[in-house]
Amino acid sequence: MPVRFLRNASELADVSWETPLPVQVANAKPVPADTLLVATTTVTTDANRDLLGSAATELPTLDVCGQYRKLVWFYFRASDAATTYRVLARATDHNGAPLGTGWQELATDTLPGGANSWGRIEIPSTGDGYYDQYRIEVRLTAGSNYSLTSKIVGVR
Amino acid sequence: MQPKVCLVLNNLGNFNRAWTQILRNLGIDYTLCIPTNTTTSATIQTPQGVFSPSSPDLRNYFRQFDAVILCDNRSEITSSSLINYSVFWMSWNAPEDPAFLFFNPHFSTAITESAYNSNFPSDFPIVRPNPSDIAGTLYAADGGSAGSTNPLSAAGTSGRGACVLFPAENIRAYVMTICNTHTNNIPYYWRLDTAKHSTLASTTYTHRVARNGRAGEILAVPAPPTSSEDTETYPADCVVAYRYRNIFWLPAALHRRQDIADDNNPYLFWLLYGLQLAGVRPRYKLPVQLETDHPLQAFSPGAPFNHAITTQMGILEASWDWMRDFARQRNTAIVNGLVVGTKYRLTNAAYHWNLLYSTSRTQAERDAAMRVHQILVAGHREGTTPCGVHDHTIGTNGYWGGSTAAGFVRHSGLRYGTPNDVPIERGNSCVAPHVLPAGVAPPNAIRVQVGDTELVEWEYTTSGTGTTFDLPAGSVHAARIIIESEIEEMLALGFPDGYCAGHRYTNTAANNSGGECYWQALKEFGFRGVRSASACNRNLNTKRVAPNRYWNGFHLVQEMPLDIYSATSVGFSWGLFHPSAPSGGDAVRYLSLDHSNDISSGWTTNPALAWRAYRRVLCMVTGRWLAATAITLGAAYFHPIQCLMSVSPSRVLDRFDGWNILNAANQPHYNHAVELLENMDAVVRLLPDVLYWGTITDVMDHRERVMG
Repeated sequence: MPVRFLRNASELADVSWETPLPVQVANAKPVPADTLLVATTTVTTDANRDLLGSAATELPTLDVCGQYRKLVWFYFRASDAATTYRVLARATDHNGAPLGTGWQELATDTLPGGANSWGRIEIPSTGDGYYDQYRIEVRLTAGSNYSLTSKIVGVR
Repeated sequence: MQPKVCLVLNNLGNFNRAWTQILRNLGIDYTLCIPTNTTTSATIQTPQGVFSPSSPDLRNYFRQFDAVILCDNRSEITSSSLINYSVFWMSWNAPEDPAFLFFNPHFSTAITESAYNSNFPSDFPIVRPNPSDIAGTLYAADGGSAGSTNPLSAAGTSGRGACVLFPAENIRAYVMTICNTHTNNIPYYWRLDTAKHSTLASTTYTHRVARNGRAGEILAVPAPPTSSEDTETYPADCVVAYRYRNIFWLPAALHRRQDIADDNNPYLFWLLYGLQLAGVRPRYKLPVQLETDHPLQAFSPGAPFNHAITTQMGILEASWDWMRDFARQRNTAIVNGLVVGTKYRLTNAAYHWNLLYSTSRTQAERDAAMRVHQILVAGHREGTTPCGVHDHTIGTNGYWGGSTAAGFVRHSGLRYGTPNDVPIERGNSCVAPHVLPAGVAPPNAIRVQVGDTELVEWEYTTSGTGTTFDLPAGSVHAARIIIESEIEEMLALGFPDGYCAGHRYTNTAANNSGGECYWQALKEFGFRGVRSASACNRNLNTKRVAPNRYWNGFHLVQEMPLDIYSATSVGFSWGLFHPSAPSGGDAVRYLSLDHSNDISSGWTTNPALAWRAYRRVLCMVTGRWLAATAITLGAAYFHPIQCLMSVSPSRVLDRFDGWNILNAANQPHYNHAVELLENMDAVVRLLPDVLYWGTITDVMDHRERVMG
């Protein structure tokens, strides 16, 4: 006994590969991206601080990120003071324990942009990520402390 | 009917996200608008078009909202413009118009724009601040002393004190209150033009928010002192909140700029109160609940109080009996992280198990501790003081605080205790079942699931059947051993479970929730959530909580300490203030409340300073608690005995009365538990549309409801 459904208000059709049951997608995100972090960081000269302000070198900025192919870091910087950044990443085992100490450096450079400008950095810049933990550091190399406001989106 | 408000921000880029997060948590819909500049010639950009600020189109647009909220504020009164465009709205007073909420509004006489001044309502009854005549137009508040920074920059510390009387509700409450500030870093209250107010108060006015049917209403004033010692009084024409027709003139509510919605907004009471006054009835009320860490603990007698152990137990017994009764009457549950691990591991006689059973304690001490313990057990069973595990014995920093727990001692029996031989560390070979070739895994391979990941493990290290070994901390096997031992101890103490009964929750030691393997093990033992810091395995510092604090259905609730001492400086608080306390040793020092030394200088000669300290401490901790409740949906907590040593042992439950009641150090008696809960109770009674006494279950339910 075939399963039938009403198609086009009046036509009765059998369910088949060619005429599947009509469905309506509900509660689905149009883009497989999640906002993971929004933070305002005071960029200083005293240490490589991560976006959450920590100078503890083993502390991740973001954890439990294994599902994300890529992170996108948007930022707005209040000053053009010379700033460097580093993007570090590593994998954990299934318990959440890092496979070892230290990090794999994905990127290090001068933070682009002038005063009151926007920036966008893809992590990693090429290929896919799927790292479990990321540490994103900034450090002032000259000039006065300033605020850096960041948003990081994880893309599956 | 869905509540809906319009937020008018200075810009969309860097406004304080707490505005929208609080509204989200309350289930209030919102629309954001921004002006093109700060003057009366600005246009207002709305989602439905760009309007002149004085136009009928904008007025009609605003009428769809329950309230329009002016969010922008400034820390000084010399600016010539900030929210000048809003002056027209002060005359939109028809019954069809919405309520307007102005927080810390800038309306000083420094505004020279003629369009502003000519449109400013002539019958507005609050004197406009004059930067050239501050003393004649504002009242210096909270002792009039200057802070080291602007008072509006106070976050988790450095707050100002205020006891506010709400005449309509006839309630006094300690809520941080700053109407205006200036470059001198002094907080101010407003001065009322009594003649204009008298006219407004006798003028009939019809609007849904005019609860007394009059055009003017004093909403809040500085409360008169309750003691002759307290000399901080204000003239009769001093006000802190006023309703002018449908316009609410209110103190500061949130920091001006703060992009992330964190809990550093201790003034937010005024936003909640303003929403209620405006009749914005939230879809959801917010549950208020309190937690404690170490509900039963003791310290060796020491300065400045030198309380014997039995005296400390007496303080705890009276305080816990009161808190249990408070929870019963308010239908809340005070969740407690009970120090476990001492049965098997730590020999510290100050912790829960050893206070009850260690022979290093006298029988009288053990009996006194047992009386406190029985209150907690009874409260756990009836739902008023539920207790959960809180383990400082694996290292000193809770779950995964070190890479290895050296000399770890196992518990007895059950599944993961001795004499069993159980895995203690991740296997060298861990393969997903769907890619594991047949016959590769040996017979002793086990299946391990952490979150979404399931692996087959073998070549794992086992404990043997011994009781003591070095336990690698970072695996689900270690987590299971540890957590089962904690629950076993709770059962041995007479509790039916280790996770706060039906709440299935606990507050972790040092706010270290570990990481995925601990969250997994906690779930397996029935937990629904725990309290956790963002960096969740301090001091090892290799882990962060999941970005949304919700991991595979497991809650990681943000912490908010309400203690009145620095644990790195002292073992327990020396009270509100003590002249000889070390740095961070008392509430005033720890919370940075000694502005211009206006508490420490003259403490012993001016009794009013104790009242000033009392006001500031209560305002500060209440502000922090409210921020945890309304912004982060977090968990506020304090350490009982550490914060209660400063009570008078013979009058434990007496309310603060300055120098009329002294503690054992001959300083003013202060019971942090009683004062904290009673003040929050006053706030909850003031905000029946917004807050209710709830439980951590209500908090977790609400997180699931609004976090999406």
